[in-house]
Amino acid sequence: MSNLKKFIKPTIYVVLILFFFLLPLFVKETYFIHVLILVGINIILASSLRTIATTGQISLGHAGFMAIGGYTTAILVMKLGISSWAALLLGGIASAIIALLVGFPFVRVKRVYFAMLTLFLGEIIRLVITELRAFTGGTSGLLNIPPPDSISIGSLFIITFDTKVAYYYFILVLVLITLLILYRIESSRIGRTLYSIQQSDFVAESVGINVISLKVFVWCVGGFFAGIAGGFYAQFVRNLTPDSFGVMQAIYIVVYMVIGGRRKFFGAILGASILTILPEIFRVLKEYEPFVFVGVLFLVIFLLPGGLVDLPQVITAQIRKHRKVESNDA
Amino acid sequence: MGLDIFVQSILNGLTSGWIYVLLAVGLTLVFGIMNIVQFAHGEIYMLGAYCSYFLIKSCGLNFWEALPISAIVIGLLGIILERFFFRPFRNKFEPSIIVAIGLMLALQTIAVVGFGTDTKTMPSIIPGVLRVGGITLSWDRLLAIFTGIVLISALFLLVQKTKIGQAMVAVSQDTYAASLQGIDVNRVSVVAMVLGCALASIAGSLMGSIFTTNPYMGTLAITKGIAVIIMGGLGSIPGAVVGGLILGLIDGIVPPLLNTNIANIFGFVAILVILLFRPRGLFGHE
Amino acid sequence: MMLEIRDVTKSFGGLLAVNELNMSVKQGEIIGLIGPNGAGKTTVFNLITGFISPTKGQIIFEKTNITGKPPHAIASRGIVRTFQQSAFLPDFTVLQNSATSCYLYPKGNILEAIFNTPGYKKKETAVYQRAAELLKFLGLEPVKDELAENLPHGYQRLLGIAIALSAKPKLLLLDEPLGGMNASEVSETIAFISKIRESGTTVLLVEHNMRAVMELCDRIVVINFGRKIAEGLPAEIQKNTEVIKAYLGVSEDATQC
Repeated sequence: MSNLKKFIKPTIYVVLILFFFLLPLFVKETYFIHVLILVGINIILASSLRTIATTGQISLGHAGFMAIGGYTTAILVMKLGISSWAALLLGGIASAIIALLVGFPFVRVKRVYFAMLTLFLGEIIRLVITELRAFTGGTSGLLNIPPPDSISIGSLFIITFDTKVAYYYFILVLVLITLLILYRIESSRIGRTLYSIQQSDFVAESVGINVISLKVFVWCVGGFFAGIAGGFYAQFVRNLTPDSFGVMQAIYIVVYMVIGGRRKFFGAILGASILTILPEIFRVLKEYEPFVFVGVLFLVIFLLPGGLVDLPQVITAQIRKHRKVESNDA
Repeated sequence: MGLDIFVQSILNGLTSGWIYVLLAVGLTLVFGIMNIVQFAHGEIYMLGAYCSYFLIKSCGLNFWEALPISAIVIGLLGIILERFFFRPFRNKFEPSIIVAIGLMLALQTIAVVGFGTDTKTMPSIIPGVLRVGGITLSWDRLLAIFTGIVLISALFLLVQKTKIGQAMVAVSQDTYAASLQGIDVNRVSVVAMVLGCALASIAGSLMGSIFTTNPYMGTLAITKGIAVIIMGGLGSIPGAVVGGLILGLIDGIVPPLLNTNIANIFGFVAILVILLFRPRGLFGHE
Repeated sequence: MMLEIRDVTKSFGGLLAVNELNMSVKQGEIIGLIGPNGAGKTTVFNLITGFISPTKGQIIFEKTNITGKPPHAIASRGIVRTFQQSAFLPDFTVLQNSATSCYLYPKGNILEAIFNTPGYKKKETAVYQRAAELLKFLGLEPVKDELAENLPHGYQRLLGIAIALSAKPKLLLLDEPLGGMNASEVSETIAFISKIRESGTTVLLVEHNMRAVMELCDRIVVINFGRKIAEGLPAEIQKNTEVIKAYLGVSEDATQC
């Protein structure tokens, strides 16, 4: 019996992955596919932010890394004619490089200050992008970014990015790769070490863990994937403006992570999914829609401080409590 | 740059500076006493501006009647905020950020729903200019600076001479010791919040009148506000004054020479460098 | 000489926490570092293990100058310390605490961890095996699956020692390991410290429990106000007038309050 148990989780994952791959076959509504693409982007952003947060550091500037990735990818394709695939990778690398440049001084400071440092970094990135008008188009933005290059295998199998579905599969693959890598980091020895830094950085340091280097490492990894998300975003919406990468956007990513639940890997995915879909469902409310978002936020922060991932636990605890009370009355 | 423009830039800088000070003082006060960064403070400032706008446009008051009424209304809002939104999360960094973010969105949406997204203007708080030598000084800016100086001086007196002021100092230095001395930490928190909100409201009203009002001015303000309190030292009122004036002067002098973006970049990079080399800021203690 | 502290001074502002301290540790010995509260003992630990840097002087370990190196580098050279306040990873179980602290041995590789290679899996098994053995060595096996923060105080202090041992120290710095322990816990821990030395680890012990110090230590160094005031065998130290004055002086002031 225990042999079978080992296969339950992997089977669920395979079924889920198959489900998402086959989804476009029975869901034709392009709006729905569009929303799922946005969910995918936000999953990458929230999960990469969460990886940085495993060492206890909350970044309020993650949108800045997304911006670097987006603009780098777009500029490389448009001004240097590089293949969109290479440009995407280079977008992620550019973000990681910026992360590396500021990393060492940043990670030394206390958590409160780190949060504020990253807030300012995000703003500086946005303002610099706005200033470098020649490259980035400034406030009016970078327009008419080409879609990803077509993929052709032989002359039979050709994928061109002129439909939402093509982008859907693209982001699906990116999400899977990202989650795989981040999950492996989390659940392996590396993750254990990172989490120890959050719990007690001086204990970690005393047993030989290079706390500063590891913090910079996850900071760069997080930055890299945010850059990839940005590069995809650039090729998807095909117009970039610096205002898409401001303080509010950075804050939304943090909200996705915290409302979903920071403690578990799935939390960031859950938060990003629910909080991306929710505003779309309530779009009819127009300018009143944010109240729904805010309502969910307050419900969670007051009732489920550990995030939505705690919901099953809390429910079963409540059920148990009620059963106990009933059996006491009986 | 001609002398007239230079002096006007300084004047603009000091005006922005004192507005930043009024905004940042509340932020630093709340941090010192409740140990949280009140991210929605910018939205309070924005609501102050809209409150004054509403009183002037719809109730026919003049600016100097609207200003204190807004301050009182927003200050009372602070009581509700402290009691229901921030007291449960005092000293808790992460949850307090999320609550503040929620409030940011809520308050911003209220403004959008109530007034629309377009930029509003208010009639000048006092028209006309003062001519000294060859230099032109707008009365409204001079008056804003005067208001700032008066209010901050009053605050200093409050902190140093009154019982509640001394209680605030005690709590910000050591909350536990203060409670052992019999100080009601909850009451002190409420006072800090109310003061902070009232001052932010005044700052917003001044900004909204001398410049413009829109629902997004709060987001711009909070980043500036945090920059000021970092530069001055978290929890330090004198620090907020010095930091606010420095950043204000940068914002006054650099844009005419270069542009607003560069002024902001310069300001934020300066804060970054300060944070890295002297995290406790100019006057902070840690 | 395994460890040499040469003319080390540490000043905080104007305050001299450690004042031209000279001492050394021989391989294989248990050496005690004692002194009244505030004498500077934990500062000495912080200096040796790199948590702070000396204002003046040098620290030499196995003929290499380790002055000013960061704590993780000093740990990988073989000096590991415990902490005066209970220091462990609260959200982890006892076993996870030890396994995480086995970070240095075996040395990990990021790529093999991400790709979950067979080599990585073998290392993981080895890590958990060594962690389990270590817990057994210190009598922590019964609580190995308990969350560290739920442990009673005595076990938490033992866990602190287990964490340090996981990093395979050549020189182990114990900062008041018996703090807050009852009599039977103290006896057990004294036995453990002996066992640690027998297994080849040199020990530098800071302790207030004089019975333990006299029983365990081959040699004792006494400091007060950051200066060495006496050094020698336990029997000599017990009779040393300077030492008695230092300790009595403190308690005299206390009764005069």
